[in-house]
Amino acid sequence: MQGNVSALAAGLAMLGAIGPGIGLGIGFSKAMEALGRNPEASGTLFVPYILGLALTEAVAIYCLVVALILIFVG
Amino acid sequence: MPDAGGGLIHVSIQAEVLFSIGGFEVTNSMVGAVIASLILLAAAWYVHGHSSIVPGRLQSFVELPIEWMADIVAGSSSRWRSYVALVVGLFLMILVANWLGLVPGVGTIGLVHEGEALTPFVRPAAADLNFTLGLSIVAFIVFVWWGVRVHGLAGYLKEIAGEPRYMAPLMFPIHLISELSRLISLSMRLFGNVFAGEVLMTTMLALTTAALAVLPLAFFVPGIFLVLELLFGLVQAMVFALLAMTYITLAIAEHTAGDHDGEREKGTANEPDLQAPGASRPSSTSAPA
Repeated sequence: MQGNVSALAAGLAMLGAIGPGIGLGIGFSKAMEALGRNPEASGTLFVPYILGLALTEAVAIYCLVVALILIFVG
Repeated sequence: MPDAGGGLIHVSIQAEVLFSIGGFEVTNSMVGAVIASLILLAAAWYVHGHSSIVPGRLQSFVELPIEWMADIVAGSSSRWRSYVALVVGLFLMILVANWLGLVPGVGTIGLVHEGEALTPFVRPAAADLNFTLGLSIVAFIVFVWWGVRVHGLAGYLKEIAGEPRYMAPLMFPIHLISELSRLISLSMRLFGNVFAGEVLMTTMLALTTAALAVLPLAFFVPGIFLVLELLFGLVQAMVFALLAMTYITLAIAEHTAGDHDGEREKGTANEPDLQAPGASRPSSTSAPA
């Protein structure tokens, strides 16, 4: 029973990935918009873009970690 | 260690112990890390011995990621020479360790004990929290050390305490936690991505081989995710190295003459960063095209 509940809880914890998903989409679309307006800026955009996506994605990774803890430890 | 789901998929969150030498347990992720290091050492040793002014194919192949990463690091601050080796080293180590996990046989060839699931001989090193935490601790020590070296211990503590001095009792713990959370997020990001990638691959293979009717899918569905994992392996190695670089650059950046001046100083320090990759990019991208 407890295993089933923690599996459910892990699934619910992954709902937290919705926010970062939206955020990543917005970030990517804005980067593409900027690139469309100014194609020479690709080199300038690259590092801040990757870092921004990585920092946004960290929130989803926290959800994943919580889910993993619920599955394997809880 | 408990299983994830039913009998279909076996996933272990911790690295499995292969054998122990006098109480020191050698796990399969250590084997993965050592193999990745050996690949890097062998490549470095061979290319160093056979290098020439006009690079051959192999030399260009080895130099390409190093030059590309070093170009980005060179733009981060004026003292880039002191940490370029660390950042490029982190990048190459994680890249090779990640891609090693995609080689056929890794994670599928191993020991089977009675009544237990398979214990693979090699596990991708970054799918073990110990490996990623180790790398993060190295990066953490380096960027704290740079902060102390540039500002002095008092200056570093002052920076952690924050700008309006009367807020220090509140801001000091918050800034301390935010420094420590970099350590956690660096290690957890890499571990989470690589481990989730492993689970994804296992799940896809298990789903497509579950019944005879879906068996034809097994020939190309895992392949799609394999390509995706190639991309993620590169991106995660890059993200780890670039974040380590950014934290070091932030630690070096001056904050002495007030917050506003500090911001401006940081802006000028970062300006070459915006130039260098842009300047090198057209030449590097147009060459293969």
